[in-house]
Amino acid sequence: MSESIVKGKVYDIQGFSVQDGPGIRTTIFLKGCPLSCPWCHSPESQAFRSQLSWISMRCIGVEQCGKCIKACPKGAIKAGNAVKKSGTDEAISYVSIDRSLCDDCGDCTKVCYPGALYLCGEDYTVEELLKRVSKDIPFYDESGGGVTVSGGEALSQAEFTFELLKGLKERKIHTALDTTGFTDPKNIQQVLPYTDLFLYDLKNMDSSQHKIVTGVPNERILDNARRIAEAGGKLQIRVPIIPNFSDSEENIRLTGEFCRSLGDAVVLIQLLPYHDLGIVKYQRIYDDVKVLKAEPPSDEKIMELKKILEDFGLTVTVH
Amino acid sequence: MYKLKPVSIRVLKMREMYRNTVPKVCTARLKIVTDFYQNNPNITGILKRGLVFKEIAEKTPVLISQGEVVVGSMAATYRGSALFPENDIAWMQVDYDAGKLFNRELDPYIIEEEDWDYIKSVIPYWEKNSLSAMVDQYIPEGYFNAVGNQVTVYNGKNICTAPVGHFCTNYDKAIRKGFGAVKAEAQAKMAEMEGHMSGNMIEQYNFYRSVVIVCDGMITLSKRYAAEAAQQARECTDPARKAELEMMADSLNWIMKNPARTFYEAIQVMMLYQIGLCLHNNMHGISFGRVDQYLSSFYEADLAAGRTTPEKAQEIFDLFALKVAEMNKIWFSGTTLTVTGYTVGQLMTLGGVDKDNNDASNAVTYMMLQTAGRLLLHDPPMSLRIHKNTPAELWEAALETTKICGGVPTFENDDVIIPALMRNGRMDLQSARNYTLIGCVEPAGCGDEWPACGGSGGEAYWNMPMAVLHAINDGHNPMADRYGNITEKRTGANTGYLYEMETFEDVLEAVKTQYQFFLEWQMTMVNMFEVVAAEHMSQPLVSCMMDGCMESGKDVMKGGAKNNSSGVPGVGIGNAVDSLVAIKYMVYDKKLCTGKELLDACLTNWEGKEDLHQFILNKVPHFGNDDEYADEWAAWLLNLFADIVASFTSIRGCKFAPGLYPVATNVLWGLLTPATPDGRRKHEPLSDGISPVQQLDKHGPTALLKSVVHIPQEKYSNGTLLNMKFHPSALSNETGMAKLIALMKTYFNLGGMELQLNVISGETMRKAQENPEEYKDLVVRVAGYSAYFVELFKNCQDDLIRRTEIDL
Repeated sequence: MSESIVKGKVYDIQGFSVQDGPGIRTTIFLKGCPLSCPWCHSPESQAFRSQLSWISMRCIGVEQCGKCIKACPKGAIKAGNAVKKSGTDEAISYVSIDRSLCDDCGDCTKVCYPGALYLCGEDYTVEELLKRVSKDIPFYDESGGGVTVSGGEALSQAEFTFELLKGLKERKIHTALDTTGFTDPKNIQQVLPYTDLFLYDLKNMDSSQHKIVTGVPNERILDNARRIAEAGGKLQIRVPIIPNFSDSEENIRLTGEFCRSLGDAVVLIQLLPYHDLGIVKYQRIYDDVKVLKAEPPSDEKIMELKKILEDFGLTVTVH
Repeated sequence: MYKLKPVSIRVLKMREMYRNTVPKVCTARLKIVTDFYQNNPNITGILKRGLVFKEIAEKTPVLISQGEVVVGSMAATYRGSALFPENDIAWMQVDYDAGKLFNRELDPYIIEEEDWDYIKSVIPYWEKNSLSAMVDQYIPEGYFNAVGNQVTVYNGKNICTAPVGHFCTNYDKAIRKGFGAVKAEAQAKMAEMEGHMSGNMIEQYNFYRSVVIVCDGMITLSKRYAAEAAQQARECTDPARKAELEMMADSLNWIMKNPARTFYEAIQVMMLYQIGLCLHNNMHGISFGRVDQYLSSFYEADLAAGRTTPEKAQEIFDLFALKVAEMNKIWFSGTTLTVTGYTVGQLMTLGGVDKDNNDASNAVTYMMLQTAGRLLLHDPPMSLRIHKNTPAELWEAALETTKICGGVPTFENDDVIIPALMRNGRMDLQSARNYTLIGCVEPAGCGDEWPACGGSGGEAYWNMPMAVLHAINDGHNPMADRYGNITEKRTGANTGYLYEMETFEDVLEAVKTQYQFFLEWQMTMVNMFEVVAAEHMSQPLVSCMMDGCMESGKDVMKGGAKNNSSGVPGVGIGNAVDSLVAIKYMVYDKKLCTGKELLDACLTNWEGKEDLHQFILNKVPHFGNDDEYADEWAAWLLNLFADIVASFTSIRGCKFAPGLYPVATNVLWGLLTPATPDGRRKHEPLSDGISPVQQLDKHGPTALLKSVVHIPQEKYSNGTLLNMKFHPSALSNETGMAKLIALMKTYFNLGGMELQLNVISGETMRKAQENPEEYKDLVVRVAGYSAYFVELFKNCQDDLIRRTEIDL
């Protein structure tokens, strides 16, 4: 067992995670991502630092509490206007946060007992995480599941992710790494022996479009995918179907061709149709909602795209 | 891929009639029983109970409704309710005086004016002659000091319902042997004894004598139905129906006296025996046992002989289930708060292992699931016994059924239940492998045990957090009882106040003292009750088929069955455990508040203490999150409860069996329970079954299941109950289903006993509250029973919505 003291910044640990790889899994979400995809439905995953979050539903109002106002050293929290509490006729004054003054110090979260204010992003050691995820080993064993390390971009915290995956394999836990693929090839090389499955995003086969929309080109992503395939790694390719970006037949055909070229390495392709459920999460950490608003693709459209990929002899599922 | 088979037109019509008929109160049984009791004060004891059944069998209305093949009725009208004055009927006057008899909001009944006039006229007689009235004379003097504690349950005055069903006699024997053979056996025993009876042989003689009487009664009842079928056949102009009625008449003439010959006859024996049992007893929770095991050989033989087809057999089973669904009983209005939806709990058990530990599922197992899934019936409830070798297709069929029909079936783990039943001398391996579920989720012998859950006059739902509150409040209940009385006296043991306890160990000592105190009172009341009931409510009709009774010559109420038990279920587990944890964390470990502050906050319902309240809810560890700090105390408290209960001895010589299930008493008990140290406010429902407190399980289903296996479930042979609510999207595809099965299997491997699922979103339930007509057929699992959601008590509906929902 490694004695590393490297810490990772984690924004969520989700038990009974059933969408991120085979069986019943625990998914560990690491904070920070080099891409800036406009459809991202995990806004809390983007920044590398811890961020103050606020869930209005949990707030009991300044009438009964309001301790956060006094606790804030920057004077960033004030009483808001009285509104009707949802589902009741009671008036309640929620707090209002001036994000321009807030530096995410987290002092307010320490006095917020209802947990309406909390710091998104907590530091964990590998040992702490291993202890936590090992609790569900009986469920992994029965279901053929394990642990998925996700993000953000987990390989942006490369050292930590490596130690974590290694620790998991030492405990004989099935590992999956959910990655954008946008990382230094040596990071990929390092985790390869300890990663049973890569959940790997292919967002757009056209590099210039990829750069315009996500902020980074795709060459490195495609190279890393080839590297994984050549080294005998297994890939579960994830294709977000985003209106007017990745939803063209052409893009899907190119994706299919690329996957086919990786041979047996690709075990599954998942189509992830755009949805607009992420909006509420933006409101927890930002004043304005920056997420892409679009019409979700129709079922017929998704079925057509699925067919294109299946014609390459690939196994495809839709989420 | 699991598919639902088509439903025949006849079955659809029958279902429509069932769903559209408002039950009507029928006074036929009341009149028969009242006349018999009033005219025969010289007939007593077991003979009285035997003869009153014979009288009922000879006079009860015989009703064959249009299109029925499986017959048997409780009343003069379809879906009618009989009345049971021997237990009590004075509650009807109480309800009437409170304006809750006519036009009741929950479970309404039609009651004719003239019928009410008759009922009213006999209430004064029964006020002095019912079991309620008799039991009330025997309350030990000391119990009056404890009255108002709201921990123990004792249903005496006006509402005594006992024995409260919750047993399963040997239907298989009734089917294969018949009442004619049992009668002959009893007559032979009598002939042997005649003229030379010493010691208690007289009692045995009286027992056999009453067995002969009830067997005659059953045969008479069947022949009366045969005559009615023949009469209808003569008048029938439709040749197909005419032939059917003639076939029915032939069978009804043959069965009961003789062994059943076909699948249909086996079902008809079960149905009429059930009607007999329910008309004789105070119908409730009288369970059918392992129906697929009784029926399989008849089905296979009929198929082989070309007497039936899978479709025909399915239709007969559908009609059978609809007959069972139709049966109901009018309750005291207060009781409808916990058991709504005309629920009677006539549970059927499926699957499981056979006597050699092999899988016992068969074609009838699937037929039963088809019935529940296609007809969306919550009654009869069904329980599926799961074991290591349960076939994958049975898992699939059961999960697909529960997805559309909430909580049907429940999932019961043979690998935990069978060893549990063998603890404490309850039963041997052979009986344990053949166990069935009764009432809600209680494991019991199938045709060979008298488990007598309900010896307190109802079920003994024991309020766990309330006993913890007594422990820190010097044995006082700070809240008004159900009649609005606040009691100044000490209702529990003298254990001092929380602020007088120097260490957490002192708190634990106080809890031990109160648990011992209140459980001993519960045992006392159960035993006292049984002594009285055994004299006045003998059960020759149950006993004549129950294994052990014919051999011992003793009634089940006197301990004649092969196996015996007595269940006491605890309620509010999550709140009780979390209360201990909050006290430990806040007062002793972290010293964040004083004992006085915490106790005062409970007594004043957290008024002005919102800060403390929020801290306890959100910052203190809670049971249900796979956190050893909290879960350790679940193990401690539930070992304590189980060990105390298991140490008690019943009047039948057997040991008591602990259980953990609430029906829906968690909602009603919640209304009667003050604020508790875990952060629960006054009046809020208690936690449900062995679930954590509603919405305080924050780490998903795997953490929840890891927590609840800290409860020593193997000690709870009276059953445990765990509800889980899944959002439909979690189970919308095969992968989701496979993962759910793995989740359930892991729980069972870790020592889980029982699991029941609702696959429904809170959103759907809210819509159903707004538009009940559109959601008329929505079946949900409440706790120990399923029901049509729109027929539930509003607080129960809200409690269901509030439970943690698992999605992705």
